[in-house]
Amino acid sequence: MQNTKSPDFVIPLVTVILLIIGVVMVHSASTVLSEEHFHDAFYYFKRQLMWASLGLISMYVMSRVDYRLFARYAPHLMLMCLLFLGLVLIPHVGQVRGGSRAWLGIGTFGIQPSEFAKFGLLIFLSWFLSREPDRMRSFRKGMVPPLGVMALVIGLIMLEPDLGQSAVIAGATMIVIFVAGAQVKHLVAMAAVGLLAFAALIAAAPYRLARVLSFLDPWKYPDTIGYHIIMSLIALGQGALIGVGLGHSTQKHLYLPEPQTDFIFAILSEELGLIGGAVVVLLFTVLIWRGLRAAMRAPDRFGSYLATGLTGVIAVQVFINIGVVTGLMPVTGITLPFLSYGGSSLTLMLTAVGILMNISRYAHY
Amino acid sequence: MRITQTKVRRRIFLVLLAFVCGASLLIGRLVHVQVLAVQFYNEKAVHLIRRNIPLPAVRGEILDSAGQSLVYTASAASIIAVPRQIKDKQRTAYLLWKIIGGTEQGILKLLSQPKLMVYIRPRGRRLDEAKVKAIRALRLPGIYLTEEGKREYPYGDLAAQVLGVTGGEGQGLSGIELEFNQVLAGQKGALQFVSNARGEEIPQTNDDYIPPVPGLDVELTLNRQIQQFAQREIQNIVAKYAPDHVTIIVANPNSGQILAMANYPTFNPANWRSVPQQVYNRNLAIWQTFEPGSTFKIVTLAAALQEKKVNLKERFYDPGYYEVAGHKIKCWKAGGHGSQSYLNVVENSCNPGFIQLGERLGKTQLFSFIRAFGFGKKTGITLPGEGKGILFNPSRVGPLELATTAFGQGVSVTPIQQVMAMSAIANGGILMKPEIVKAFINPTTGQVVKTFQPVAVHRVISPEVAAQVRDALESVVAQGTGGAAFREGWRIGGKTGTAQVVENGHYSGAHYIVSFIGMAPVNHPQLVAYVAIDYPRPKGTPVFGGVIAAPVIGNLLADSLQYLNVPPSLQGIPKKYRYGIDPVLTTVPGLAGRSYKDAVRTMLESGTILRVAVVGEGPYVIAQAPKEGTKLPQGSTVRLYLGPAPSGAG
Repeated sequence: MQNTKSPDFVIPLVTVILLIIGVVMVHSASTVLSEEHFHDAFYYFKRQLMWASLGLISMYVMSRVDYRLFARYAPHLMLMCLLFLGLVLIPHVGQVRGGSRAWLGIGTFGIQPSEFAKFGLLIFLSWFLSREPDRMRSFRKGMVPPLGVMALVIGLIMLEPDLGQSAVIAGATMIVIFVAGAQVKHLVAMAAVGLLAFAALIAAAPYRLARVLSFLDPWKYPDTIGYHIIMSLIALGQGALIGVGLGHSTQKHLYLPEPQTDFIFAILSEELGLIGGAVVVLLFTVLIWRGLRAAMRAPDRFGSYLATGLTGVIAVQVFINIGVVTGLMPVTGITLPFLSYGGSSLTLMLTAVGILMNISRYAHY
Repeated sequence: MRITQTKVRRRIFLVLLAFVCGASLLIGRLVHVQVLAVQFYNEKAVHLIRRNIPLPAVRGEILDSAGQSLVYTASAASIIAVPRQIKDKQRTAYLLWKIIGGTEQGILKLLSQPKLMVYIRPRGRRLDEAKVKAIRALRLPGIYLTEEGKREYPYGDLAAQVLGVTGGEGQGLSGIELEFNQVLAGQKGALQFVSNARGEEIPQTNDDYIPPVPGLDVELTLNRQIQQFAQREIQNIVAKYAPDHVTIIVANPNSGQILAMANYPTFNPANWRSVPQQVYNRNLAIWQTFEPGSTFKIVTLAAALQEKKVNLKERFYDPGYYEVAGHKIKCWKAGGHGSQSYLNVVENSCNPGFIQLGERLGKTQLFSFIRAFGFGKKTGITLPGEGKGILFNPSRVGPLELATTAFGQGVSVTPIQQVMAMSAIANGGILMKPEIVKAFINPTTGQVVKTFQPVAVHRVISPEVAAQVRDALESVVAQGTGGAAFREGWRIGGKTGTAQVVENGHYSGAHYIVSFIGMAPVNHPQLVAYVAIDYPRPKGTPVFGGVIAAPVIGNLLADSLQYLNVPPSLQGIPKKYRYGIDPVLTTVPGLAGRSYKDAVRTMLESGTILRVAVVGEGPYVIAQAPKEGTKLPQGSTVRLYLGPAPSGAG
């Protein structure tokens, strides 16, 4: 088709800056815990470095693989993802970590099928919606099939259960459908159905309701469900404008559980202050901007939809994660892209950035 | 409408706008938490991560007027362990065990408790110097030394109710310990550190040591020697008469300072938990209220003299009763004292004479003097639990109430009120506020932080009237009913009192509170002393009146004045007899024909020093031997024949 250009260099630049900040913060946040559990202050640091390197390689490779290849194999990928999502639910095959049967793997090495399914679904939707763009005018032909597949994926993930991943998938799917030209009245109707479904989920498992309540008034439940938010807000308050200094967080001293994963932004805000936190938010904003710019300039609808979806995943995770850390949202358990200690999910996220870079290569005006 | 690429781009742009808005919201929230509301979150943080190990302050001592310690805190170093800071509990327990002994297992158990801090009981408390040094040298993490104190009472039960007791946390529960708890307690110090979620100290953070501020010493006005005299007298009374309660107060009338305050039952404050609550919690000298009886006549006399309603040389005829509002109020002496001067009225403690004085004064004047002398309200002594007594409501005082009040019935007063009223007479007419505390002293520098100056409440009577009353009281002792308090050379003035106790709404026949209030030397009094003995139970035969209470005050004043180096004087009114040399003769009162209760009361009031042997049974005395009017040596026995009816009056 078109001649390949060099990719939008801002995308990898911002990603690598975030990655470096992440590796440093993972180290700072995890020393106490690493020392405590593994008698090795560098335990998480070394692993994060390994996954980041793997991710960077994957990112580079993907930036050179024509994204349209995914369109060709979209249904196959989707089927594989569904297969793994089913597989992980089988006891003894899927491992339970943190209350969810979400992991496939041996020992400490593990992957989450839901992470793959997230991207698999986006590829599938982008392919499906771009094949016949005008189907979106009909509810039955345009809305029902993508939502059906999404519901299947989310349904399987909620069996693990993993509310955070489900929320991210729902959010990214909605963005893609919106961009693909869904009618506003259809979206409103769906939002209503979504709210009902959410209410049903809460009714089914009361601990979800407790989580919702805890973010509204965490001081009411300081020892139970409000604990994370309180510790997180205290970390932020300690950090104030310029932070307590790199490595001087007190909240990482066993107050915040798993400070290197979901609450890495709290430790960052404590040590580097408002300035550090705002810089990170701005970097993400730049990345989202460049991602959506690539979507707007993509040569075909598949590229547009896919770039939107991949950027959407990053954006939704950023908003949910920082929203939780700052007490704006209930605790869901979502990592902050590139910053949280994440193993295979980090590698996968960098792979997604590689795909985004590849799409940006074909930008036309 | 077709879905064009342009429409897709527009929608992507809308998504971008939404994300930018979202990012702005996040930054806005960060500004709110980290800048605008930062104080709120920082306070929460301090609360969360700062741990305090409280360090007790050494409690101040309570001293006698000479600066001698009556209560002190024997403090010694004790181990405080912060279990969460101890990584190697096994080793720590082993090393501590090598120094303090006990069992290694026991120490390990304490170190493993899920508490912020624990004391290593029992061997890790109150350590000697060598052990303290050894533990310091170990520099074990999570092991601290703190001063811990226990109240020590070098004089046992001395002034127990005044000193009061302290509870398990060292806090004052009664007496001076309670009243001046803040002063004695000092300020707790603290060891502060930054802790992680398990309470372990975070390395490379700052410890803050806030040293405790020791409490101030409280110096009392109590004179230890006089206090001991008082307690010795109480012991003697208890041994002889087995009373329910005894109270003694000795005061300096010129300053209002209390020199001795003792009660029975007493206790050793170190073991206060083993005595009933009312023993350690009630200081009878300031708490107990009862009818004063004849000691109250001093007030009536002073009022009448001040208002010039009487001249002591004036004659008064006592037929044995006084008619008030149609009631005949009997004198304690059957048949009355006959014709006598008002000085004799005082010496004889003649009720009709005092009723007459009350009538001359009228209720307004009499009650205004009673209040002026400090009755009916608290004296304000700095001790907890003071009573205020009960006076008749002035609107309900009729002639009968006026009459009984004039000789000390129907009012209710505390011992301390009586002492302060007597002190006003002794010091020339000024009511003083009683002081039990002299000063607060900084134990480290020895500096006096605060002194308590004598506080004069107001003048009650003129110096001249006060002198007249004192002279009258001297002659009560030298020649009247207070004879047993006479001590050659010490010029003691005083007055006996006997009050019947109301039990179940009636005056009980057997339950009396016998009291004596005295001062010396009357020309320039240095001391006022008071004793009240609640329900004396003489062994074998009843012993009456002045015999019980008056000698106590005689002994106490004589010993105390001698101890204070007050020179004896020979200027006083001589005793009718010379004590211990002349055989002292007493007139036998007429008892036959009266009820036994009446007879006992008569004996008590008269201050007669006679013993009684009872023959037969019954509520009435049908005959007595020897007969009324017979003169007998002191201590002789009068035989009373009892029967069912007052027949055959002798």
